[in-house]
Parts: sequence; structure tokens; C-alpha cells
Amino acid sequence: MSERNYTTVNPCIMCQPIGSVMAFKGIEDSMVLLHGSQGCSTYMRLHLAHHFREPVDIGSSSLSEKGAVYGGSENLKKGLKNLILRYNPKVIGVSTTCLAETIGDDISRIISEFREEEGIGAERIIIPVPTPSYEESHNSGYIKAVEAIVKTFTMDESKKAIFNNKLNVVLSENISPEDTRELKHVFDSIVGHNSYILLPDISETFDAPMTGELHKIQPGGTTHADIADMKNSAATIGLGITNDNKAVNYLEQTFDIPSQNLPLPIGLEYTDRVLAALSNISGAEIPDEFQKERGRLIDAMVDSHKYVYGTKVAIYGDPNNVLGMLSLALENGMHPILVVASSKSPRFAEQAMERVKQVKPDCDVTILEDVDFDTFNDAVKKAKPQMLIGNSNGKYIAKEMNIPLIRFGFPIHDRVGAQRILTLGYKGAMRMLDRITNTILEVEDTELAAKWSEPESYVPLGESGFHSAEA
Amino acid sequence: MPDTTSVVDTLDERKPYIELKQANKSGELACDNTSIAGAMSQRACVYSGARVALNPVTDAVHLVHGPIGCASYTWDIRGSLSSDKETFRTSFSTDMKELDVVFGGEKKLSKSIDELVELYNPPVIFVYSTCIVGIIGDDLQAICKEATERTGIPVIPVQSEGFKGTKSDGYKAACHALMQLIGTKEPEITSEYRINILGDYNVAGDVWLVKPLFEKMGIQVITSMTGDATADSISKAHGAQLNLVQCSGSMTYLAKWMKKEYGIPFTKVSYFGIEDLSIALRSTAEFFGSEEMMNIAEEIIEQETNRIMPEIQEIRSRLEGKTAAIYMGGAAKALTLIKGFRELGMETVIIGTQTGKRDDYKQISYQVKDGTVIVDDANALELADLLVRQKADLMVAGVKERFLAFKLGVAFCDFNHDRVIEFEGYDGFLNFARELDTTVNSPVWRYVGSKIGDSCTGKNGAEETTDSTAKAGTIKKIDGDNNMQKINPITLQQEPVA
Repeated sequence: MSERNYTTVNPCIMCQPIGSVMAFKGIEDSMVLLHGSQGCSTYMRLHLAHHFREPVDIGSSSLSEKGAVYGGSENLKKGLKNLILRYNPKVIGVSTTCLAETIGDDISRIISEFREEEGIGAERIIIPVPTPSYEESHNSGYIKAVEAIVKTFTMDESKKAIFNNKLNVVLSENISPEDTRELKHVFDSIVGHNSYILLPDISETFDAPMTGELHKIQPGGTTHADIADMKNSAATIGLGITNDNKAVNYLEQTFDIPSQNLPLPIGLEYTDRVLAALSNISGAEIPDEFQKERGRLIDAMVDSHKYVYGTKVAIYGDPNNVLGMLSLALENGMHPILVVASSKSPRFAEQAMERVKQVKPDCDVTILEDVDFDTFNDAVKKAKPQMLIGNSNGKYIAKEMNIPLIRFGFPIHDRVGAQRILTLGYKGAMRMLDRITNTILEVEDTELAAKWSEPESYVPLGESGFHSAEA
Repeated sequence: MPDTTSVVDTLDERKPYIELKQANKSGELACDNTSIAGAMSQRACVYSGARVALNPVTDAVHLVHGPIGCASYTWDIRGSLSSDKETFRTSFSTDMKELDVVFGGEKKLSKSIDELVELYNPPVIFVYSTCIVGIIGDDLQAICKEATERTGIPVIPVQSEGFKGTKSDGYKAACHALMQLIGTKEPEITSEYRINILGDYNVAGDVWLVKPLFEKMGIQVITSMTGDATADSISKAHGAQLNLVQCSGSMTYLAKWMKKEYGIPFTKVSYFGIEDLSIALRSTAEFFGSEEMMNIAEEIIEQETNRIMPEIQEIRSRLEGKTAAIYMGGAAKALTLIKGFRELGMETVIIGTQTGKRDDYKQISYQVKDGTVIVDDANALELADLLVRQKADLMVAGVKERFLAFKLGVAFCDFNHDRVIEFEGYDGFLNFARELDTTVNSPVWRYVGSKIGDSCTGKNGAEETTDSTAKAGTIKKIDGDNNMQKINPITLQQEPVA
């Protein structure tokens, strides 16, 4: 629109609790209970069901007026009790909403009272996470929940520390189940199947195979033993570099575990970095399989380079995903003119600019963060990209400007297969590049077809064509 | 107290909300209460009720006063279509931050309203309050009143704090907002017969298949609330002589108010299914007492029914004998669906709603056969359990229930916001029948629960051609292994092969 100071128009971000839900869904045998009114849990269930196309159960303390006035302790306890009765989870994440935070409920205290009153034993773990919706975004909610999970599981001093010589891998950004599976394959192949602990792991819980059975809680997720064992590991890798990975910091500060934060392995170089780090840390050779895969990726890049070169692209979404996609675009000679992170991250802009300087210093790029879609749309209109890469909410501007949208990130609610989109690793880069290239070819085909129908007026692609785009 | 012993395993507190319809036994179903904490209700909140009922007003600015989540999850939430402006699809929020919570959001809201007036110049602004606004006590009424005086544009507060009741209370809040507009402009009268369509949200363009039928009967439709409504048409709604209420849960309150305020009577109707649609047209003509109108109505009913019947019959032959589960937000839709299913040869075996009232459930109870389960504010586990126990072939509900049904190998039809095809009117019913045919008779279900090699040994796949045999091989189970209250795993009994 134009200058706005007070209104957010079409939000790019979601609130903190949904981020915490995504983290908890990557833990074995866990449920989440949102302390707030009924709507919060229902909206998040709806949102996640749309994206993952799976049943998503999230409890609610269903706060009513009485609870809001006199405190929500009674409702929270009842909610926990009923959740345990019906789902019997080993782990319950209790995330607050803006309502619970504002009425000032002390959820840690209420949980302790509940444990005592109901005689809940140590075998059932309840993890409080304060996630007021009026602070930050879903990304920070995710990071906070992952930290709370690690803290809770590693807190038990009585368990003797036994060095396990494993590698911790802590995600600071939500990635797709397919991406998670690919990551696990990479780690399995390089550091070994039982030599690393990946947290959180949504590969099964948000993409369960169809068996005819409906599980109350989807099997899968990082095991409890593994999370508890993270304090005994040899090293930690944090994936995602735009924000602080609180769990990684905690493990380093508390248990002296050396750590390294790396970008999400999206595109050739970022994947190289992660694989090289793995090889360094574990001392293992990178298997030939990945050298071959990398070679195939380069082959694909060569195949595609003439089609994608100079294509003006706008990339938007969650910060680490966007940074990775920016890197992939740059490596392939594309021209990322607009790079937008939905939320504010301490190092997003700096990292993005550094990557641009490394590969394409003359690239005229606009980097934005913490903006709504209205601002993003304005920027798109000004920058006139030929392609958008990001989540479903970019469809409005893509339609208006008649440019293709490559769907990637969260949420994708208007197409099937969000849970199966592969972006990570060499394989993911190949898939992504193929999608991008084929989209360009598709557009050209359609444009050329229109021109072929009038042979007289046939001219090579002009301004609107992909090839002629100014780098 | 309804007999629930044999119905479903659930929390004791939930048992009065579930009833098995039995001959000579009429229990009073508990309903119209707030959801039980931790029971995993499929319901949303007061704000959600207000938002879905009011959001389809196409040229309004819908401003959500609260933290970002509430606006984020309800962005373009209804599949309502507009014949003109698309302002309603845009999500506006004051995006309250910590400081707003501490110092109050009133100033930000006022400035936000001014900003939106300047940028959009809308005919009306609806300001929704969220949980947090109710807690910190921002005076929405006063801010809106001042803003109206300052800007000259009606700025209407919608008191929809999420925790202050149920979704039904949200509908009421939406009705209160509409009341502020009604009667503020005089309609241009083009016919001596005038109606309002209430409780239709023009999902996928439903209203566009219904309105022309009334117009053919010589009736002027002043407004349809709120599907494809504009601020202008709503403000003239008092010019009607009759209100037709479809979604009774959301709009009866408004209809009653219009009767009291303007003396406009209302009738409850449905535009879904051949029978209910005919009743809607006939009763409207009867109300106006015009013989000419009655003749046109009969003509429409005959011609249209004859037009769609051959295909309906053909589809019916493939659906005959199948069983359906209904879980709807409102009771009116649930009721009309029972009839719709019957017209397609299907019987309802589970019926539930999120917001049904005592009378609604009585009506439902009259309509369904013995052995049908009636449930209020069902949760995910109950629904899953019921789908298996009642052997439903199909479920009609919304997105949250879709994947639950799919995982159990049950066909599914979306009759909620997500729908992209019309289900009302004659062509809408045809669409509905086609959709059921598509999902119930898809061969995918025969593969659910199968293993590698099954297709070679004839356990599923090409050898089996009828659906009953296809489903028979399927194991449907809700996992209850790690439950504290031991619930036996539920296995669908082998159906006799015809």
C-alpha cells in the first residue's frame, strides 16, 4: 500500500506457540497443551493440518471468563489430567498463549502443584515454555521450545555422565519431513547410524505412512534417551545461523560441549560446509555416494545454467530457509533482487549480504526482514522479479503480477506435498533447481506458443522473457 | 441421562454429550457449554465465531485488535466469494507487542483506524477484540465511537474476546455488529416482494446459485448476510418483508432482532438438497401469497429437478446403502445434510455439531434412525472411535477431521470453509453428489492397510471390483495401547462379502 506505521496488513509470521508445537511434534511420544482459550489450539491444528495434511492434536486448557479473571490454574490442571487420561503421553509441552501470560499464570508452579496433587511420577515429563504471542514470532517459539526440551531432559544430575562420543544436531528452523529424512540419511552415511542425535525429528510424526491405523500420538520423533544423552556428546552442530540456537549455547555453556553453528545445507556450498564439518568432526571420509551426488548436482547446474542465468527472483519466508535459498539462487547465476525474512533475526541481513558479496557482488539486492505481506508486495512491485520462491501466501502477488511462484517453506496450504518437498542436501538442491528451471521453460513454452499462433509477429523473447533479463 | 455405555470410550465428563438414538428412549443431550479442558475439542473460540460470520462482508476492513496470531491464522479463512470488492480477504491487525500489552493498545488502535481510513477509505470498519484486549481492558466501544465521529466512517466494535464463551457467542457478537449498520440507509425498492437471505456465506459462490431462483420468482433480494454482502446492502436490510434464515446458529439472533425492531418475520430454510430447496422456494411463495409466484416456483422446481435427476440417479446407484458421518459447526447444516444423504440413498450413522442447542438436537433425533450416534462438541479421539464403531463409509466435516478420516480409510467430503465448489441450489446438489461419488468410490481405499504382495494374492487391487469387498480387507484401528484407561483396540469387523 503506502506508508503505514500502526497496522500490520497480511502477516508473514505466526505466533510463538505454533513454533513450540512444531518442536514438540519432533519428540517421541509427546503432546502439547496450550494454556489459553480454545481457539488458539484449534487455529494451530487447522494451520498445521493444512500444511502437513495429517491429523494434528493439540490440547487446550480451554480458558473461559472465570479462568481469565481468577487465574487459569484449575483449567490447566484439568487439561493436563484429561490429556493424560486420553493420550497418556510421556512428554507434555505446556506452551502459554498471550492470554495466560497476561493474566500472569505461573505455569511452572501450577505444573509442580499438579504433579504433587496427582502423584505424577518422574516418568512423565512436563515441560513449560513461555510463548507469549505478543513477542517475536513462530521462529523464536520453535527455538525456545527446543531449548526447554534439552534443558529438561539433561537436567537430571543423578544420571551419571558417560561420554557417548556422539554428535548433537540441533535444528533452529522448521524443515519439511522429507528434508529431515534426507538430513538423517546424510548423517547416517557420514557419522554413522547411532553416532548422532538429531533434534527435533518430525520425519515420521508429521508424515506418517498410511497403515489403516490411527495412532493417538504418531510414532517417531527424537527418543527421550537420546535427548537426555545430549549432555554426554562430543560436539554439537546447530543448523541455522541467522538466529541464536539457544539449545546449542546451553549445551556448550553447561556441559562444555564444543559447538559449531552451520547454515541449513541448501544449495551446493552450504551443503559442502555441512558435509565438510561432519567429516572434520567425525574424522570420517565423506562417502563416495555424496561425491557422486555432488557431481550430479554440478551436472544439473550446468544443464540448467543458461535457462536460469540472470532470472530475477524474490525469495521470502523463514530466515534460515531464505538464506539457504538465496545461496542456491546465487550459485546458479540467478539474480535475487529481493530477499525477505518474515521475522527479525540478529544475523539474517548480515549473512545474506555476505553471501551476495561472495558470489555476485554487483547484484543489486534488497534485503528486508520483519515485514508483513503488504510491504513485501510493494517491494515486489517495485523490484519486478520474474519469479517468486516462498510459501503459499505469496500467491496473491504472484497472480497479480502474473509471475510463477515456486512453493517452498511454511505454510503451503494450497498445494499437496508440502511434507515431501526436498530442499536440503545435494539431492534437494537438484530437485529445487529442476523445479526452477522447468518452471522457466514452462513459462517460455506458453509465451512462445502464443507467438507461434501468429507466425507473422514472431519475435525473440523481449522484456518479459527470462533470457533477456539484465543481470 | 443418555445411554452412553455402549457408544464410545471417553472421559466421564464427556459422556452426557454423546447419545445413541434408540427407540422409545429419549435422552437429553448435554450441549451449549464451554469445552472441557484437555478434551481436544474441535471447536474454536468467540473470536472465531465472530470472524467467520462477519468476514464475508466484502468491502469492509476487518481489523483484528490483538497480537499477530489471531490475524495470521484467520487470513482469508472463508472460501466466500465476492462479486465486487475483495477487501475482506486482506488481514488487518494491530499486531500488539509487549509494550502495547503493558501500556494499553488504545492509541495504536486509534491510529491504525485512521491509517486504514486514509489508505482504503472503506465504507465500514469492523474492529475485533481478542483475548488480550478483554484482559487489559482497552475500551473498544469508546475508541470506535470516537473514530466514527472523527472519520465519518462507521467503525464498529465486535466484542469477541476468545475466552468469553463459545463460538456461538461470537456469532452473537457478529450479529450485534450488523445491527449497527442495518437501517442506516433507505433501499431502492424494485419489487413489491422483498427478502433478505440470512446465514449464507457464499462459500464457493453458493449464493449465486440461489439468488437467481428468488429473482425469477419476482422477488427482490435486498442483501445476503453475510456472503457477498456489502456495507451498503446490509444498511438497507430493513427494507425486506421476510428474512430467510439458513445458518440458524449464526443468524437467528439477528432475525429475531429484526422482527422486534422492524416487524420483519423470518423462516428457517435450507438451499441444500432437492427437498429442502423446494420447501424454501414454496414457503417463500406461500408467504407472499401470490399465485403467480407460486406457479413460477413450481415451474422452477419441476424443470430444475428434471434437469439434474438423471445424473443424480446414476450417482445414487453407486452410493446406495453407504453410511455417512456428519460433523458440522452448526446444526442447521447437519440437519439438512441428513436429508441430502437420504436423497442419495445414504444413511447417517454419526451426527454431531460444535454449536448445536437443545432444540437442534431434538430435531436431529427425530430425523435419524435408531442406532445413530448424536454427539455435541466431539473431540478427535471420539470421532475416530465412532467412525470405526459405526462403520462409516464417508465423513462430511472440515479440515481438522479430514485427515483423521483419511488415516482410517474413510472417504471424506469437505462441507466447510475449504470447499471450492458450490453445494447449494440445484447445480450445487449435483456437485455434492459428484464429490461423494468421487471420494466414496475411489479405488484408493482398497489399498489402505495393505502390505507388499497383497495385490498379487488378490487381497486388494484389480481382482476385487466391489467396494464392500475392498473395504472388508482393511484393518481400521485406533491405537490405544498406551492408554492409562485401557481402551481395547478397535477392529472393524469383516463385512460379509456379497
